Amino acid sequence: MITRRLDVPTSHATEFVDITARLQDEVTAAGLLDGRLHLQSLHTTLGLTLNQGRTGGPTPLPLPACTVLVESGRLVLGRRQSVFAVELDGPRRRQLAMQLEGDFARPARADAGQPGLDLVELELTRQLLVDPSAVQAPMRRLVEAGGKRLRPLLAVLASRLGGEHDPLRAAVLAAALELIHDATLVHDDYVDEAATRRGRPTVAASEGAARAVAIGDYYFAKATRMIAELGNHDVTATIANAVEAICLSQMDDVRLRGSYPGDYAMYLRVVRGKTAALFSAACRAGAQLGGARPDVVERLTRFGDLLGIAFQMADDLLDYSASSGKPLGQDIRQRAVSLPLIYATEDATRGQRVHDLLDGPLDEEQVREVQELVVATGALDRVGEEARGLVSAALRELDEVELDGVRPELTDLARSAVDRIR
Amino acid sequence: MSVTIDGIEVHLAGLESVWQAGMHEVYAFYRARATPAVALAAAMVESAVSLQELGDRPPTPPHLLLGDLCLARSSRLLASTRDQRLQVGFARAVEHVAAAAAGGPPAPPLRTLLVAAIGGVGG
Repeated sequence: MITRRLDVPTSHATEFVDITARLQDEVTAAGLLDGRLHLQSLHTTLGLTLNQGRTGGPTPLPLPACTVLVESGRLVLGRRQSVFAVELDGPRRRQLAMQLEGDFARPARADAGQPGLDLVELELTRQLLVDPSAVQAPMRRLVEAGGKRLRPLLAVLASRLGGEHDPLRAAVLAAALELIHDATLVHDDYVDEAATRRGRPTVAASEGAARAVAIGDYYFAKATRMIAELGNHDVTATIANAVEAICLSQMDDVRLRGSYPGDYAMYLRVVRGKTAALFSAACRAGAQLGGARPDVVERLTRFGDLLGIAFQMADDLLDYSASSGKPLGQDIRQRAVSLPLIYATEDATRGQRVHDLLDGPLDEEQVREVQELVVATGALDRVGEEARGLVSAALRELDEVELDGVRPELTDLARSAVDRIR
Repeated sequence: MSVTIDGIEVHLAGLESVWQAGMHEVYAFYRARATPAVALAAAMVESAVSLQELGDRPPTPPHLLLGDLCLARSSRLLASTRDQRLQVGFARAVEHVAAAAAGGPPAPPLRTLLVAAIGGVGG
């Protein structure tokens, strides 16, 4: 199931807003082939109706919720039928909750078409197949829900930079990296009390917290074993160091939530561990596995570090994007260490209000006000620029390195890490 | 068991409270069977499972994160031994116990699995 929020601004006191095309866009973007689209108004004076437009016959009474069937990727509507949001007390900024359920096309990823990634997908499938069903089924749902596979792809590309390149061994490393990443997500979602991940219920939400903890541990251990079985001690050490950095950073992140908003140095420290450590380790371990020269290993390590920080900055921006598929305003509700919030509080005119709001309990209206204030300060543009600058710096690390033909792929991948904020 | 005797205190940063709460006793058990690094790695795995209350109720978030750190540091200690057999054995032990806790097939006690993984590694 995929969960979204749909912003519906209205411009009159009473108004019919045709949202049919937007709903179809959502269905297409989600890859829903056959199933149902559920809509629910989040306001007492905003209704929903299926009718034939203003010139059609009698208008049905607006209801707080409606469901539209989807077949072959299209909304099932009569020739003249449309879906309307009905404003009864506008004009206002309105929001609809939307859920898409049914059969989805396999989601496209940043790595689509990358040679080597098919092997990684096969390896992931193979590894999951042999696991006990109690742990396999929830993890398979998470793995199959998508994800960008950036870490596996970095490892696969880096593994080509030496004389010992072996696609099968690279696929094992890459699959293990994805399982480590997913295992950390399972635990993070429990700590963060998140309800959804990649548009679906989190493992903790669907399986219960106690099982989620065990499932995360299982896949952390399994990934560790997969890497150990590769028999490359440098790779084993690289990944072990990264996982420890992630754990320390996660503890830091949770501890710092009480000391909002933090500063840039604090942000970098958390992000380096929380996100960049595994990006960097993926590059380093891939290069080590492929037998790359030490100077290439070091360059790739720095490339991964910078790219990981840029990726996290771009991820912070998704907290303000309704089309991201992530719950809006989650960082604000959690008072997480987030660069847009840090920059917003530096604004001379609006910063204090952001501070004041975040000092107290936040209702949804106030979360929205913080979002609007952050946008108004220009903090999002500033973070976006910084993320793009870091990607450029990351690519400069590779300027002097002989990349054996993978430069275009690494460049595309690096740019794709921040492209989602454009 | 004094952490300074074996030179392991450097590996306990952030886990001092866990050490005091009982990890030192577990370490003493394994130290009789293994090198300081391996014994500490085993003690950390046991502490992680205990902190996270695997197979029981959900842990508090701080305990979950401390447990994760124990597992991660245990892996790093094992990586430093450059002993693949140990690394695989420890990982399999956690896999067995975690799968059982998630509702999978029952597993032997963790200590039995870890002692078997340590096997002939002497102290």
